[in-house]
Amino acid sequence: MSVPIALLGLLEREPSHGYELKRDYDAYFGRGKALPFGQVYATLGRLARDGKVLPGEVEPGAGPDRKRYAITPIGKSEVETWLDTPIEPEPHLQTVLFEKVVLALMLGRSAEHYLDIQRGTHLQRMRELTELKRSGTAIDALLADHGLFHLEADLRWIDLTAARLDSLTAMVRS
Amino acid sequence: MSASQAADDAGQPAPILEAHDAQLSFGVTPALRGANLALVRGEILAVMGPSGSGKSTLLYCLAGILTPDTGEILFDGQRVDTMGEQERSRLRRDHFGFVFQFGQLVPELTAEENVALPLLLGGASRSRALDAARAWFEPLSLDGLERRRSGELSGGQAQRVALARGLVSRPEVLFADEPTGSLDSLTGEQVMELLVSATRRQGTTVVLVTHEARVAAYADREVVVRDGKANSLSAGRVRS
Amino acid sequence: MTRLGLRLTLKGGKEAAVRLTIIVGAVAVGVGMLLIVLAGMNGINAQNARSAWLNTGSVFGPGPVTPGGPAPGPPNTSPVATASDPLWWLSSTDQFETKTIDVVDVAATGPDSPVPPGISHLPGPGQFYASPALTKLLRSTPASELADRYPGTQIGTLGPAALPAPNSLIIVIGYAPAQISTMPGAAEQASINTSTTHISGANGWDSNKLQVILAVGALALLFPVLIFIATATRLSAARREQRFAALRLVGATPRQVSIISAVESSVGGLGGVVFGFGLFLLLRPLLTNVDFTGEPFARGDLSLNLTDVLLVIIGVPLAAAVAARMAMRRVQISPLGVTRRVAPPMPRAYRLLPMVAGIGELGYFVDVGTPKGTGGQILAYFSGCLLIMAGLVIAGPWLTLVGSRLMASRAHRPAALLAGRRLSDNPRAAFRSISGLIIALFATSVSVGVITTILDRGPSGTGSFGTSTLLQQFGGFVGRSVSVRGQTGLAAPAVSDQLTAELRSIRLVQGVTLLYTDANSPDTLLVSCAELSHTPGIGRCTPGAVVAAVGGNLDVNPFDVTGNRATLASTVWPAAQISPARLAGLTVDVIVVETNRSTAALEQARTTLELAFPDQNPPQTLSDIDANSTRSITELRQMTDVVIAASLVIAGCSLAVSVTGGVNERKRPFSLLRLTGVPVGVLRRVVALEAAVPLLIISVLSAAMGFLAAGMFLDAQLGYTLRAPGPGYYALVSAGLVASLAIIATTLPLIERITGPEVARNE
Repeated sequence: MSVPIALLGLLEREPSHGYELKRDYDAYFGRGKALPFGQVYATLGRLARDGKVLPGEVEPGAGPDRKRYAITPIGKSEVETWLDTPIEPEPHLQTVLFEKVVLALMLGRSAEHYLDIQRGTHLQRMRELTELKRSGTAIDALLADHGLFHLEADLRWIDLTAARLDSLTAMVRS
Repeated sequence: MSASQAADDAGQPAPILEAHDAQLSFGVTPALRGANLALVRGEILAVMGPSGSGKSTLLYCLAGILTPDTGEILFDGQRVDTMGEQERSRLRRDHFGFVFQFGQLVPELTAEENVALPLLLGGASRSRALDAARAWFEPLSLDGLERRRSGELSGGQAQRVALARGLVSRPEVLFADEPTGSLDSLTGEQVMELLVSATRRQGTTVVLVTHEARVAAYADREVVVRDGKANSLSAGRVRS
Repeated sequence: MTRLGLRLTLKGGKEAAVRLTIIVGAVAVGVGMLLIVLAGMNGINAQNARSAWLNTGSVFGPGPVTPGGPAPGPPNTSPVATASDPLWWLSSTDQFETKTIDVVDVAATGPDSPVPPGISHLPGPGQFYASPALTKLLRSTPASELADRYPGTQIGTLGPAALPAPNSLIIVIGYAPAQISTMPGAAEQASINTSTTHISGANGWDSNKLQVILAVGALALLFPVLIFIATATRLSAARREQRFAALRLVGATPRQVSIISAVESSVGGLGGVVFGFGLFLLLRPLLTNVDFTGEPFARGDLSLNLTDVLLVIIGVPLAAAVAARMAMRRVQISPLGVTRRVAPPMPRAYRLLPMVAGIGELGYFVDVGTPKGTGGQILAYFSGCLLIMAGLVIAGPWLTLVGSRLMASRAHRPAALLAGRRLSDNPRAAFRSISGLIIALFATSVSVGVITTILDRGPSGTGSFGTSTLLQQFGGFVGRSVSVRGQTGLAAPAVSDQLTAELRSIRLVQGVTLLYTDANSPDTLLVSCAELSHTPGIGRCTPGAVVAAVGGNLDVNPFDVTGNRATLASTVWPAAQISPARLAGLTVDVIVVETNRSTAALEQARTTLELAFPDQNPPQTLSDIDANSTRSITELRQMTDVVIAASLVIAGCSLAVSVTGGVNERKRPFSLLRLTGVPVGVLRRVVALEAAVPLLIISVLSAAMGFLAAGMFLDAQLGYTLRAPGPGYYALVSAGLVASLAIIATTLPLIERITGPEVARNE
């Protein structure tokens, strides 16, 4: 997951200061690796340049950070597109899958919808692999099986998460 | 406007099997709370969902075994849900085939007689029915097992015999309810492989109920039943 | 479809073969029993029909035909037998030891006089025909004891057509018309009776009454037989349901499944019928020895007519098919019949209603009295009994349910809990296996209750003198109730001293006592105390009395069979104020001969008396008098015993088959339980409890109902109070219950064998 999308997502929730963004990022997505302040401001700068966020008025007071950033319609649509685009069904995608779910829940979007389209994409890939297995060589079949089992593990996670969405929502929104 | 007309308007082939807002309760327990579904000829549809979601009930309704309380089931444009038991029995015999998880073979009959059963029930002569049945043993790698009774077959063999029985009358729709449910991965895969290749060869439409993604991956598309609801009116493409 | 059904039935592998064998065997036993019952009924009817001729003239009691007058044609005579020359006819009974001899005196009035069955022409004066058994008896007994009674020479034996039973003692004696016309009771008969309707119980049964009795007996047997056949055809119904559901799934129509199921059960039924006939033919020679009525059957009596054969050949496979079809109803509805079965509704308390109605019906008759006519009484009573019997079967499942719920809720051990829950889950099936026994027990209790009481009321207490004290009664006594010839009030003949001396001279005759009747006190008989001391069988005098009054201070006739004469021998008769001299001048009413239990003396005395008083009723011992009055009851009891024994056997078979079948059907759940660590002992207890608990509960109820019904019958019909049954009844019932429990126990070892872990494997 990219830092810019994460920050955009956090901003879509509510306009925030840079330090608030850093704090929330670390809490939800940091996974024990804090985001440096420098990277926060550099990213915000780039986003502002691209018209995806809008820096607010400089507020009175001390400290380096006296601007509140808000998301623009362009920024919003970027978040939306990102959320609606299933990721490539490849092994070791759990973190991305996870981030999508958490962010969708946080923003009050339908995580279920996301999971459904992700399931569809996974199954499509599994169908391709199954087809490959059926038509290809034994080596192809072996590789396809490997992929299939991993994708199946993802799918199981997707199903389980879908079943647990209620309790996840409660946790994220608290 | 019915869904089949809509499909015609869209230039797609008319669906062979449809469910429109099918609902069914067992006593006070709702099992189906609105299923909308359409399959085109030759399509393999996987019906997925957690256990207790109503996938088997949906299959029974589509196959005319159970009658929905409300809603419509259509086969080839004909209402199935309003048919009498006799008519539905005939429909099952002449147009449908079945493969279930287990317990579907008649224990008193030999494997070939089990396969020949739908033909015998349809009034075919014994020798013709048995000939037709035997023709299925080789393609399903069952050669030599013709005279065995169901108790003398392994799980995979029994399931392949059941598959042969489901296909022997060249049905238009094959209903498979967890056909690999009691088999290990490899055996299950063999059964699925045979099921898919045989139905593709014949152009049989398949309704495949399963909770396993790897089994569902043999299908052209899937519909997920959740809390008795399913929605998949857009008939999928048929893979060539 | 029929072929497929046959294929499934006949070549369905080992398990199917075993099932078919059991069904065929069960139906065969049932059919065999059914045939025996039918043959028995035919036999009883045939026996009865052969006694019709003995009732000539006594039908409707038309009375003597005045010589020369127009003979009123009795309505029951067959037109074929009508002859222009009437036949003088006088039938009576005689005794030899405990056996009854039918004596028929005849005299032809012309060449066309009707001839009784069994002989080619009528005996002339001084000739007689005797039945083979009597012929033998005449030859083996000294003439003074028997042969002297019958004048003339034997010219032949009676043919089998004249013999109700091969051992019947009958004699047909020829007279000249002039001779017989002077005999009291003799009458001219235009024809020999051939009908068995409306005949009295002395020789055979009124066939209408007999039909009702036999029908009830047959029903009491038919119930268990049908239950048995139904149980057998339902064997492994679950397995069948599963198979038929599989057939339905691949598109078999309900009709096709019905056909297959019907073919299957009909094959079992037909096979059973074939073997059943075989069983019957095999057993028939032995059956001749079975005592159905107290009189053995002639060879050929136990035969089946075409109707019976057709009834069984068509009816039994049909019944089997119907039973199987009823069991299949659920699967016909849905191909998911087994997996998604709707539980049948639980039995409710209103199932008690028929039983209550039956008790109500009997109670009604206790209250308002019996309906008019014997037929009406029998109908009223038997319909009430049948209602209670059916009521027991209907109420059974509900009672089972109540009992099992109680057991499950009180259970502390897993076996009781499992058994209770399983019973309450399907109380009908649980009750079905014991229903045959319940019916048998009910029938036993009713008949034992009724018969014990009647026999108990009857004079069984005549003590050791019952068979040794011979009474020659004349017609003068007012209170007399026993009248074999039906002629009371004949003028008493004079009793000569020569006769008494002759009687006293018979070896081992202890004493001869004359009882006199006095016109002044018609209710009393007077006796000389000197004589009475030699005949202790009828009591003794007050010490010091010279003449005693017998029966004077008793309300009842001392020889009345309905009176309680248990104490007759110990009765002390009061003195009568009359001199011995005057006594000798009175009319003799009864001659009492005390024979000290010597048969020879008794029969010799009897012969002497019969020769001296040919027109009087033959002398009888006290026991003879009793025996006559209870003869039909003992015959009835004999029939009932046969029915009860047969139905108990069938009910036991039924129980064995259904318990075994039940265990077999639950192979899988039981083996799964075993896999989860339930010890075999618990499973055994479950099976035992499941059968034993309803059996014991409903047995008690059934027996109680039986005695209630018997008590009400006795109260309404005879005004008797029910006597407690003797130890024999308790022994019989306990033996039956123990046998049933033993049957259940025999299936227990089976459990361990068939619930091995391999059974739990998927099929």
